[in-house]
Amino acid sequence: MDNLALYIVTSLIFMPVVGAIVLLFLPAENKSLLRWFTLAITLLVLLPLLGIAMPGADWLSFQVGDGGVQHVVQLSWIPSFDIQFFLGIDGISFPLLMLTAVISLLAMGASWTIDQYVKSYCVLYLLLLAGMIGVFLSLDFFLFYVFWEVMLLPMYFLIGVWGGPRRQYAAIKFFLYTLVGSVLMLIALLMLYFNSDLRKLSPQQLTASYVAAWDNGGNLLSAEKYKQQLEVSEHAVHTFNILALQQLGQNSDAFDQRLLYGKSVQWWAFVLLFVGFAIKVPSVPLHTWLPDAHVEAPTPISMILAGLLLKMGGYGIIRICYPICPDAGYDLAWLVCSIGVISMVYGALAALAQSDFKRMVAYSSVSHMGYVVLGLGVWSATAGNLFDPTAWNMGVKGALFQMIGHGISSAGMFFMVGVVYDRVHHRDLNQFGGLYGKMPVYTAMAMLLFFAGLGLPGLCGFIGEVFVVLSAWNFSPTLAAIAAAVVILTAGYILWAIQRVYLGPQYHGPHEEALTEINRREMAVAIPLCVLAIVLGVFPAIVFRYMDKTVDRQVTDLTRWTEEVKLPRLRAAEAEADQEVAANEP
Amino acid sequence: MQTLLPYLPSLLAIAVLLPLGSFCAILLGAQWLGAKGKFAGTLATTAVLASTVLSFFSAGIWFTAHPAGAVDHAAHEVPPVITGHGYTLATLAGTNVGINYYIDALTIVMFCLVTFIATCIHFYSTSYMHDELDDVVDQEALLEDGESLHRPGRYARFFQSLSLFCFSMLGLVLSGNYLMTFVFWELVGLCSWFLIGFYVERTTASTAANKAFIVNRIGDFGMLVGMMALWGSLGTLNFGDIDQQQGIFSQVRGEENHYALKVPDGMVRLAAGRQIEALALHATEPLTTEQLAAKVNAEMPVWREANLGYGLLIIAGLGIFCGCVGKSAQFPLHVWLPDAMEGPTPVSALVHSATMVAAGVFLVARSYPIFLPEVLLVVACAGCITLLIGASIALVATDIKRVLAYSTISQLGYMMLALGCGGWAAGVMHLVTHACFKSLLFLGSGSVIHAVQTNEMPQMGGLWRKMPWTAGTMLVGCLAIAGIGIPSVFGLPIGLAGYYSKDLILEQVYAFRSENPLWGSFFFAAAAGGACLTAFYMFRMWFLTFWGEPRAAKRFDRAHESPRVMVVPLVLLAILAVCVAWPAFSWFGLPTLSRSIEQARPAGIWADMHGALWHITLPEESKGHTAAVTSPVGLIELGAALAGIALAALFYAWKVLDPEDVSRSFHPLYHTLYRKWYFDEIYQAVFVRGTMALAHCASLLDRLLIDRLVDGLARLGVGLARLSDLWLDRQGIDGLVNWFAEQTYRLGSALRTLQTGSLRQYVMLIVASTVAMFLLISFWTLALTG
Amino acid sequence: MSFLYEPIGLSHYLAVGAFLFVCGIVCMATKRNALGILIGIELVLNGAILNFIGFASPYFRDENLGLDGHLIALFVIVLAAAEAAVALAIALNFYNNHATIDVDRASELKG
Repeated sequence: MDNLALYIVTSLIFMPVVGAIVLLFLPAENKSLLRWFTLAITLLVLLPLLGIAMPGADWLSFQVGDGGVQHVVQLSWIPSFDIQFFLGIDGISFPLLMLTAVISLLAMGASWTIDQYVKSYCVLYLLLLAGMIGVFLSLDFFLFYVFWEVMLLPMYFLIGVWGGPRRQYAAIKFFLYTLVGSVLMLIALLMLYFNSDLRKLSPQQLTASYVAAWDNGGNLLSAEKYKQQLEVSEHAVHTFNILALQQLGQNSDAFDQRLLYGKSVQWWAFVLLFVGFAIKVPSVPLHTWLPDAHVEAPTPISMILAGLLLKMGGYGIIRICYPICPDAGYDLAWLVCSIGVISMVYGALAALAQSDFKRMVAYSSVSHMGYVVLGLGVWSATAGNLFDPTAWNMGVKGALFQMIGHGISSAGMFFMVGVVYDRVHHRDLNQFGGLYGKMPVYTAMAMLLFFAGLGLPGLCGFIGEVFVVLSAWNFSPTLAAIAAAVVILTAGYILWAIQRVYLGPQYHGPHEEALTEINRREMAVAIPLCVLAIVLGVFPAIVFRYMDKTVDRQVTDLTRWTEEVKLPRLRAAEAEADQEVAANEP
Repeated sequence: MQTLLPYLPSLLAIAVLLPLGSFCAILLGAQWLGAKGKFAGTLATTAVLASTVLSFFSAGIWFTAHPAGAVDHAAHEVPPVITGHGYTLATLAGTNVGINYYIDALTIVMFCLVTFIATCIHFYSTSYMHDELDDVVDQEALLEDGESLHRPGRYARFFQSLSLFCFSMLGLVLSGNYLMTFVFWELVGLCSWFLIGFYVERTTASTAANKAFIVNRIGDFGMLVGMMALWGSLGTLNFGDIDQQQGIFSQVRGEENHYALKVPDGMVRLAAGRQIEALALHATEPLTTEQLAAKVNAEMPVWREANLGYGLLIIAGLGIFCGCVGKSAQFPLHVWLPDAMEGPTPVSALVHSATMVAAGVFLVARSYPIFLPEVLLVVACAGCITLLIGASIALVATDIKRVLAYSTISQLGYMMLALGCGGWAAGVMHLVTHACFKSLLFLGSGSVIHAVQTNEMPQMGGLWRKMPWTAGTMLVGCLAIAGIGIPSVFGLPIGLAGYYSKDLILEQVYAFRSENPLWGSFFFAAAAGGACLTAFYMFRMWFLTFWGEPRAAKRFDRAHESPRVMVVPLVLLAILAVCVAWPAFSWFGLPTLSRSIEQARPAGIWADMHGALWHITLPEESKGHTAAVTSPVGLIELGAALAGIALAALFYAWKVLDPEDVSRSFHPLYHTLYRKWYFDEIYQAVFVRGTMALAHCASLLDRLLIDRLVDGLARLGVGLARLSDLWLDRQGIDGLVNWFAEQTYRLGSALRTLQTGSLRQYVMLIVASTVAMFLLISFWTLALTG
Repeated sequence: MSFLYEPIGLSHYLAVGAFLFVCGIVCMATKRNALGILIGIELVLNGAILNFIGFASPYFRDENLGLDGHLIALFVIVLAAAEAAVALAIALNFYNNHATIDVDRASELKG
C-alpha cells in the first residue's frame, strides 16, 4: 500500500504531463473536448490531494502530527552528481499544493473564454501545472531548479500568445526578470553544492534528511553503512538534497568560509537566493514585471500568476533561504523585513494611483505579498538568550496563511475583473459604475472577494495580515507600525475601486448592453472562491492544522541553532570588542 | 436561576448568533422570503427580539447570582467575571489565539441595551423602510440626463445588513480578547459601511460610507499598534484569565499588588532588551536560560524604578484609545459621523448614535485596567475638545439629522471626558442613558423626515399640531439630553435619564479639578458650558421643528403622524429616556442602572491613580459623591440646562432675539462653525491630497524610474548585442576578409592602367624592363662577385 | 677602337645583332604604321638570329651551340615568315575595315 501512495504522489507531476501528451492527439477543432479533458486532468490532480488531506486512510493521509517530510519518493536520476528524483510533502508545501490544485482547477474553469489555439493553450496549461506541482514537491535542489524553469516557459507563451495588446512586451519582461532570478539561484545552487560535504553529518542527521545512496545492485544503503562509506572518502561528498543542505547549514560550518568582501558563502548564497525569490514574490523594487504581466495575461493566467506563481517566491524563502543559510538570515533580517514593509507601503500607494482595474489588483498583490516577506523575515531573537519563538512562529504561520489567503482572494479578484472585462472589454475604473443594479449577484461576490483582499475579519485575508503584523512588533516596533498603517491605504484603494465600479447611479462606459448577470460557468468558478474565502477566514485552523507541526519544528530547529550557534558567536564578538576597548584604555 | 449560571455563555452566544442566522437566511434566500422580501423584516425582527429575550433572561440569571448591591467603595471587591474559550484560531508555540468570551455586568448591561434598542429600531424600520418594498424612484440619485433613478426596492437587503450589524455589535460586547474585539470592531465598521451606503446609487452616500470606513481604519491602525504592544510584551490578548493562563488585566493589575496598576514584567523585559542583551553577552561565561532569567529577575526592580516599560504601556493604551477615537468619532477623527447621516434614519439611530459609536466608549471602559493616568489625560483632552467642537457646530446646523449627529459627537466627548477624569461609572452610565434618548431623538427625527420628506429644519415648523406623539416624545428626549432634574427630593435626586449621568460626569470632573486645578478648571468649564450648549441646540432643534408657524406650507400640508408601529418604539424609548436611571428601582429589589454598572467596576479602580511621568491624580469616583461636590454641581448643571433652554426659547419660541441678526454680527465665527471648523477642507487638502500625491509619485516612480531602468537595461543588452554584431562580426572578421578582397581588386584595377592596348608602350615597357632587369642582375652579380 | 681592328669574332656578330635588335625595337616603338612595326619585328628577329649564328660557330668559342644554333636560326626564319604572313593578313583586313593601318586606332578590343 505504501508504494501506492508513492505512485500517487509521483502521479501528481506526471498526470498533467501525460495529459498534455494525450491532448496532442486529440482533434484541434473539438474545443469543448479539449477543455473538458484539461479540466478532468486538473481534477485528477486535485482528487489525490484531497485524499491526502482527508484523515482516515493511514497509508495515504497527511499525518498532521508529523513535522517531518512525508510520502517521500526517492530515485537516483543523475548519479554522477548525486542528483535524485526526490519528492516529499510536509506541512509547508502541502497547503500550497492544495492551493495549486484548487486554483488550477478554477482557472481552467475560467479558461472557457479562450477561443484561439485552444489545443496549444491546454497543452501549455498542463505543462505549467506540472511545473508548479513539481516545484512544491521536489526536495532535491537541482530538481527544484529544473521544475522552476519548466514552469517559466509555458508561462511565457501563455502571456505572449493569449495576452492583451502589449502582451509581447509583458511576456518578455516577465521572462527576463524571472530568468535573472533563476540565474542568481543557479549560482547559489552551485555555491552550496560545491561547499556541501555529507561527511560532516551524523548518521541521525543523514537519516533525518533522507540522504540516500545505492549500492551497485541498486539497493538502498542504510545510513550507517553510507556513513562508513563517507568516512573513508577522501574528497568532500557534495549533495543537492535540500534537507541535507538544511542540516549542513544548521549543524556544521560547511557554508561559513569567507568568500568575498569578508562575507561567508552562506551570506552570498542567501543574498543571491533572496534576490531570486524576491523577484518572484515580487518585492519592491523588483516588482515591475508583475503589473505588466498581470494586466496583459488572460484572466485565467492572471489567476494562476497571482494565486500561485507569486507563492513560489515565498515558498523558496521559507524552504531554502532561511533553513540553509540561517546565519545570513539572522544578520539580514533587517533587510528582509524592510523590503517586506517597503513593498507593502509602495504597492498600496501605487494601487491607489491606478486607473486600470487589473493594474490596481496587480499592485495590491505586491502589497499583500509584502506581508509574506515581512512575516518570513521576522526573526525575533533579540540577542542575549531572550529568544521568544512565539512571535517568529506567528510570523511564519501568518506569512504562510497569507500566501494561502492571498491565493484565494487575488485569484478571485482577478477573476471578477475578468468577468466584467469579458463583457465590456475595458478596464478603466473611471468608466464603470452602477454594476450593483445590473449584476447584483456578481457584485455581491465581487465585494466579498475584494473585502477578503482588504483584510476584513471573517475573510481569508485577515488572519495572515494580523498575525504578521502582530509578530513584527518584537522585531521592530517602527516597522510593525508602518506595516499596520498599510491597512488604511488598503481600505482606501479597495473601497475607492468598489465605489467607482459597483456603486453609483449608472454605468458610464462602452457596451452597456453587454452587462448581463454572471453566468453559470462563472458562478461555478466564483462560488468556491467565495466559500473558501469565508471558511478560511472563520476557521483558519483547517489550514494551520497541516502546517503547525512542520513550522513548529522548523522554528524549533532554528531557535536551537540561534541559541547554540549564533549567540555564542555574538558573545565571542562582543567579548573581542570588549577586549579591544580594554586594550585601548591605558 | 442560579443553577443556570453555567449556561450563561451559551445563552449569550445564542443571542449573538441568532442575528447571524437571520443575516445568512436573508442573504441566501431573499427571493423566497415573500413578495419583495417582505418576510425578511419579520425574520430579522424576530431574531433580534429573541436575542433581546435571551439577553434579559441572562440579565435575570446574572443579577440573581450576583445581586447588584449598594455601592460600597471601601469593599475592594473584584467584579464577578465569567471567562472562557470558544474555539481556537491558531496555536502559536503553545499560545492559543482564539475566540473567547468575557462576561461581567457591563457585558450584560450592554447586551440588554443593544438588543432592546435594536428591537425597537427593527420594528420602527419595518414601517420606515416600507418604500423599499416596491420599486423606488430615488430623487437624490440623478442619472446623467437629469432624470431620477428607478430601481427595485431593497427591503430585504436593509434588514440583512441590520442583522449582520446586530451580530457584530453583540459579538463585540461579548468578546474576551483584543483580537476578537478587533474582528467585530471591523465587522461593525463593515456594517456601518453597508448601511451608510445603503443608497448605493447616491454618490454622496457611497463617499460618506468610504469616508467612515477609512477614517475608522485610521483608528484601527492605532488599535493594531496597541495590540502589537500588548501581544509583543505579554504574549496574550485575553482580557481575563482563562485556564491558568494569565490575561492582560491580571498581568497589569495583579492580585499580589492589590490590583494597583503596575507595569507587567513582560513589558519591562521587552523595554529592557538592551540591558538584558548586555547581561547575556557580557557575562564572563555563557549563561543558561535559567541563570539569565534569575539575573533578569534580580535586575527587574531597578528597571521598573527607571520606568522602563512605562512608555510601552502608554503606547498600548494610546493605541487602543486610538481605535476608540475612530469608532466613537472623537477629535480629530470625528469627521465621518456627520456624513454618515446619509444612511437611512433607523441606521443613524441604531448604529451612529446608540450602539456602534458607543463601542469606543465601551472599549475604553473595558480596557480601563490597562490605562495609565497619562493615557487617561489624553482621553479626557480628546473628549473635552470633541465635546466643544460637536456642540459648537450643532449650534448652527440646519439639517435635523446633522444637529443630532453633532450632538452625538458632543455627548461621546462627554463620555470620554468622564472616563478620562477617572469617572468610570459616570462614563458608562452616560453611554447607556445617551443610547436611550439619542436613539429616541433619531427615531423622532426619522418620523419627521418621513412626514415632510426633507431634512432641512428651515422648511419645517409647527409640526406638533400634525404629529403630537412625535413632538411629545422628542420633547422628552430633548429634556433628557439637556439633563433636566431636581437635585434633591426626599433625599433622592429626581430627573430624566440624562440628568443622572451628566450629573455624575460633572461631579467627577469637579473632583478632578480639586486634584489638578489647571486641567480640571478647563475641563469643568468645558463640561458646564457644554451642558448649556447642549440644552440650547436641542431646544433650538425642537422649536424650529415643532413650534411656531409652518414655514413650508406644502410640506406641512402633506405631513401626518407616523403609523403606530413607528410611534410605539418612540414611546417605549421615551419611557426609557425618562426612567432608565432612576435609583428608585432598588426599592422593588431590582438592580438599578448605577448599581449594575458599579458592579462591573474593574478591580483596582476604587483608588486614586497617580501618573508617574506627569503629575496627574485621578480621584477615585466616590470623591465626587460627597455633599461638598454634589450640591454646587447639581445647581450648576441645572442652571446651565435651564439657561440653554431659555436662550433657545428667546431665539426661536418667543422670538425676542433674531438669530439672523446674531449670526450677522458674529459672522466670522458663524461661518467657521457653519463650515464645521474647516476640518473636512483641511483633511482633504492635507491627507487625502497628500496621500494621492504620494500614490501618484509611487506610480510614476514605477513607470518613469524602475520601468525605465529595466527597459534601459534590456535596451542596453540589445544594444550590446548589436554592438558585438556590428563591431566584432561585421567590422572585425568580415572586415578583414573584405579588406583583402578589396585590396586585391584595387591592385588589379591599378595594374589595369598599364594595359593601355598601345603596342608601342608595351614595347617600351618591355625594353625598359629588360634593361632594368639586366642592370639589376649585373649589379647584383657585380656585388656578389665584387 | 681596337674592336674595329680585331678579326671578325663573336663580339662583332653580337654588335651587329644588337644594332639590328635596337633598330627593330626603336622601329616598333616609334611607328604607328602596322607595316613599320612588322618591319621592326623582322629586324628584332634578325638581330636575334645573328646572335644564335654567332654562338653556334665553332670558330669563335669552344662551348658553342653547334648545329642547334643554326637550327634555331632556321626555325626563327620560318617563324618570321609565318608571322609576317599572318601579320600582313591582319594588317590587310584592318585596312579593309578601317581604311588605315594605324595601330593606335585599333582599339576596339580594348577593355
